[in-house]
Amino acid sequence: MLDLGRYDEASSLLARVVSAEPGSSRAWCLFARAHLGADRYVEAVDAANRAAAIEPAEEWPHRLASNALMHLGNHTEALRAASESRRLAPSYWQTHVCVAQAALAASQPSLAASAAAEARRLAPNEPDVHFLSGKVALARGDLESARGHQERALALDPAHSGAMNELGRIRLRRHDTAGAIRHFINAARTTPGEHIYSRNIDVVILRTLSRTIYVFVLVALIMLWVPAVLHIDRFPFALGFGVLAAGTAASFSVLVLRLPREARGLVRRTLRTRRVAIALLVAIGGVAVAFAAVAFVPSTELPQTLPVAIIITVAARITATARLRSPVSKNQRQGGRVT
Amino acid sequence: MESEPLLDSLRNAVTAMPDDVPLRLHLAALLVRAGQRDEAVRHLGAVLQRDPGNRAALAMLTSPHPSAPADPADSPERKPAPAKDSVPPSAEQDGEPPSSPTGPGAPAKSPAGDDATASYDWSQAEDELRDVLPAMFVGEAGSTSAGLDEARAYDAEPAGLTLADVAGLTEVKQRLEAAFLAPMRNPELRKLYGKSLRGGLLLYGPPGCGKTFIARAVAGELGARFITVSFADLIDMFVGRSERNIHELFEVARRNAPCVLFLDEVDAIGQKRSQLRNTPMRSAVNQLLLELDDVASDNSGVFLLAATNHPWDVDSALRRPGRFDRTLLVLPPDGPAREGVFRYHLRERPVAGIDLARLSRLTDGYSGADIAHICETAAERALLDSVSRGEARLIGQADLEAAVSEVRPSLGTWFDTARNVALFANEGGAYDDLVAYLRKRRLI
Repeated sequence: MLDLGRYDEASSLLARVVSAEPGSSRAWCLFARAHLGADRYVEAVDAANRAAAIEPAEEWPHRLASNALMHLGNHTEALRAASESRRLAPSYWQTHVCVAQAALAASQPSLAASAAAEARRLAPNEPDVHFLSGKVALARGDLESARGHQERALALDPAHSGAMNELGRIRLRRHDTAGAIRHFINAARTTPGEHIYSRNIDVVILRTLSRTIYVFVLVALIMLWVPAVLHIDRFPFALGFGVLAAGTAASFSVLVLRLPREARGLVRRTLRTRRVAIALLVAIGGVAVAFAAVAFVPSTELPQTLPVAIIITVAARITATARLRSPVSKNQRQGGRVT
Repeated sequence: MESEPLLDSLRNAVTAMPDDVPLRLHLAALLVRAGQRDEAVRHLGAVLQRDPGNRAALAMLTSPHPSAPADPADSPERKPAPAKDSVPPSAEQDGEPPSSPTGPGAPAKSPAGDDATASYDWSQAEDELRDVLPAMFVGEAGSTSAGLDEARAYDAEPAGLTLADVAGLTEVKQRLEAAFLAPMRNPELRKLYGKSLRGGLLLYGPPGCGKTFIARAVAGELGARFITVSFADLIDMFVGRSERNIHELFEVARRNAPCVLFLDEVDAIGQKRSQLRNTPMRSAVNQLLLELDDVASDNSGVFLLAATNHPWDVDSALRRPGRFDRTLLVLPPDGPAREGVFRYHLRERPVAGIDLARLSRLTDGYSGADIAHICETAAERALLDSVSRGEARLIGQADLEAAVSEVRPSLGTWFDTARNVALFANEGGAYDDLVAYLRKRRLI
């Protein structure tokens, strides 16, 4: 049941096992594992602690407790439990992986890196060890090393969707949006039941849109000064706004055309959503109002009008971005972060 | 045949002492001999409730029974012709007649008739009943043994349903007819076009939407027996047992041909081997593939159906031609189907003034299981209200509508995953029907 990921059914069976054999540390550990799989972290900690009380020299209960505590956000205790498991079984690579994970969650990348290195030494052909090493390297900002580890994890397990997702994150850190989306799509294709990967794609699309709006508004802010500085006529100024809008749309389209087919479909769908439509309307509308204000007032009133136009433009940008970042579904509650 | 007074006395004794297992077993044995199989099975079921491992009861339930009279009027001295498939292979090959209840050691000749339990020879009874008719489901004409001589038992039973019993789901029925039933029903045309019967049908869709019900109805349409197993019946923690169970299951199906073998939750039995770290589970998948390919055996007459909520987790090898090469999406119930589900779950409850059409409209996107839960919630609400008012009242439309607003559709997570599959994993158009549905519902 546990191997098949049927944690609720496993929990029901194991509840009977632990009530029949309350002195079995292994049964409590399996019970803790079932709770962990079913996202019942408090119960998992409780079961793991019971197992540890029965067999204090066993490392597994501490690893399970560490994992559950990490999910509960208690990183200090998680790291302590992980360190205990490593003390009990220093030659077992999983204890080092556990320490590395807990250290990473506790924002101690140096400790995480040394634990990951030890895990790699003990289990050089274990994909999860390289996957974690890559995460640690990414947290330390070593993108090249992170990529190397994730590629090694994929070489050892070509269906490692976590490694694909991490490669996407690395690409994103290198501002390669199209490459990142390709990796996220591969991960979602390999494990469609894992919703993080598709959420990451949505987040990247929204972030790209947000940045496009940012660039559009920034250029507009500069252009708003043109009549005051160069004293040009209103027609070329209005034309400039048109060119800016068309140029922004064209650059966004080029970016979208570079994306894989599946991602292009997602972008089209995203653009049709209500919140994106509102965000675009607010941004373009705000800038248009600011341009109109500057273009149509007499040049003598420009010094008073220009600050208002700038405020309108900035406000439009802030409103549009806030609208884009608002969560629309349960899957997007984690905000605009790629995980 | 045992005299009715004796049986009546034993029945009275069992009523007085319902937990007396030996007494029940003895009564069951006499009832089998008297041809009253329904009642015997009820008593054997009661024995197994009290003592799940009772070997005598299991033997009586699962052994072939060639000599049991098909008609209660038959005398035990008249040995009825056994059904061919109920004769143990060894007896058939050796030309030996099946053992008769009138043979040595038969209960009729034992003193058991006078003393219900004291001197009853259980070993002899077991030996005698080992080859006795199965009565897996007694009283249903044509019911034969699943042929089990092993510890595990899979029920081969008449399906008892047809597609006419499935409310709504017209599209699903049409596709079933075209993809599966028509070739099965028209052997001449099938031969003419050289259509093979190899391969099975994989039903997939969100949980609680009637895949098992439809599989049973397909079996009914084919007039075949129905063997249903889920992964929990097959997977065993001990190495090698799962493979043995899978082999045994297919053997039972072959012995009971024509029959529909329905593998529920096939994603668990046949999960992608790349996702399985544990070697015994991989071996189980390999064994399943071997049985499907019928390398060593003949699967003719065994119609394979499988169901899964997660077809994307099923090993692709299982979906190759000759295995589960046809798929059918079973979607949440449509309007008429939802009305049917409401009607079914309210049929034995005290209800009044229920507007099924309105309920059906309100529950668009709910699964059959959700609707069952709504009916349960409405009943609970009416019950609590009756208790608080001290006066019983009927379940009304208001109770059901309140329950609808309380119970949320449970299919959201499934559709989130399905959306990912439709967007990223629809390789070769395997999920085109799912994509079409999601587009229609504006989910992608």
